[in-house]
Amino acid sequence: MTQLFESMRPDLLRFAHWLARDRQLAEDIVQESLLRAWRSRDTLKDRGAARAWLLTIVRREHARLYERKRLELVSLDEALDTQAAETGSGTDGDLFTLRHAIMRLPIEYREPLLLQILAGFSTEEIARELALSSTAVLTRLFRARNKLRTLCGMTPAPDVPASEVAP
Amino acid sequence: MSCEQIRLQIGADPAESNASLEEHVRECAACRQFREEMRTLDANIRRALEQPPQPARTPRVASVWRPWALAASVLLAMLAVLSLWLLRPSETLAQDVVAHVREEPESWLMRQHVDARSMDEALRGAGVKLDITSDRITYAQSCWFRDHYVPHLVVQTAQGPATVLILRNLQVKGRETFHESGMNGVIVPAPEGSIAVLTRGGASMDTLVAQMQQDVRWLPDAP
Repeated sequence: MTQLFESMRPDLLRFAHWLARDRQLAEDIVQESLLRAWRSRDTLKDRGAARAWLLTIVRREHARLYERKRLELVSLDEALDTQAAETGSGTDGDLFTLRHAIMRLPIEYREPLLLQILAGFSTEEIARELALSSTAVLTRLFRARNKLRTLCGMTPAPDVPASEVAP
Repeated sequence: MSCEQIRLQIGADPAESNASLEEHVRECAACRQFREEMRTLDANIRRALEQPPQPARTPRVASVWRPWALAASVLLAMLAVLSLWLLRPSETLAQDVVAHVREEPESWLMRQHVDARSMDEALRGAGVKLDITSDRITYAQSCWFRDHYVPHLVVQTAQGPATVLILRNLQVKGRETFHESGMNGVIVPAPEGSIAVLTRGGASMDTLVAQMQQDVRWLPDAP
């Protein structure tokens, strides 16, 4: 079991890093998550589900830390905003821009996007994890990508109608 | 379904495919184009997420924790003084340089030369320019290092790839050589900071160091 958990550490660290946007914090989160996972390892019945289970623990640990310490993550410099917004499309410079754009996404948009792309969760799974309706998750995912479009210099799509937006 | 509903579906998951969505995009050129753009964007998002982000600033502690933060600050200050006493600054800088290069091992594997635009992006954040446009530069990134963006370059030399970090604002008193984690390196003073050059193995770095000292232009209005 230890080997299984440790083999997933890079994935967990990457996920935590994108959530927390701070390397040291991400390492702390993963360390604490692995401890929690180890303590409750008996609840993991299917080893094939270990990755999703661990990623969920990491997400909750990040949320717990965020709440417990009332951390307010500092936004990036204006200089970074300018630098990211100036880059066009079609080169590796795009990835640089995109990485910074993702970092600047508010947590309510970044979190479902990471759960969908890095963790491979379905809309329903994200909804369950974040205690949201499926419609709200769809809206947040749409807005996350729409914000990235804008931050990458593409024309934003019209926002979803208010009727589509669930709490 | 309306275009708004279709775009909500596409924006939420560009890979999604169902009968009503496919029927709509067959008929609607604008939504078809929107899906293409979103799929391209999504592929890039996936590539971007493959790498961890550059470190952001450390979290700021809210007011409730201010007394503890103050105590921690005093403790950190004491530790910082102790660290300064134990380690010379140049040694610490060398260790940080090696640690940074080890975090980007893919940089050594690149073989295609970077274009002028990527070079410009890598250099811009540090307020420097390179007088050369060499086809021997195969990696150019602007990296967050010690509270500054620094250009991180890999130059192909006759003896293999060499990493160059242009460290604006990070001064060293004199030329420092170091050997750590299988890397040999040198940090040399420069007009507005310093330049670090690293190789794996025992390749000589003198030529590259001299070239960099000559070719790096330090712009006066650095960010």
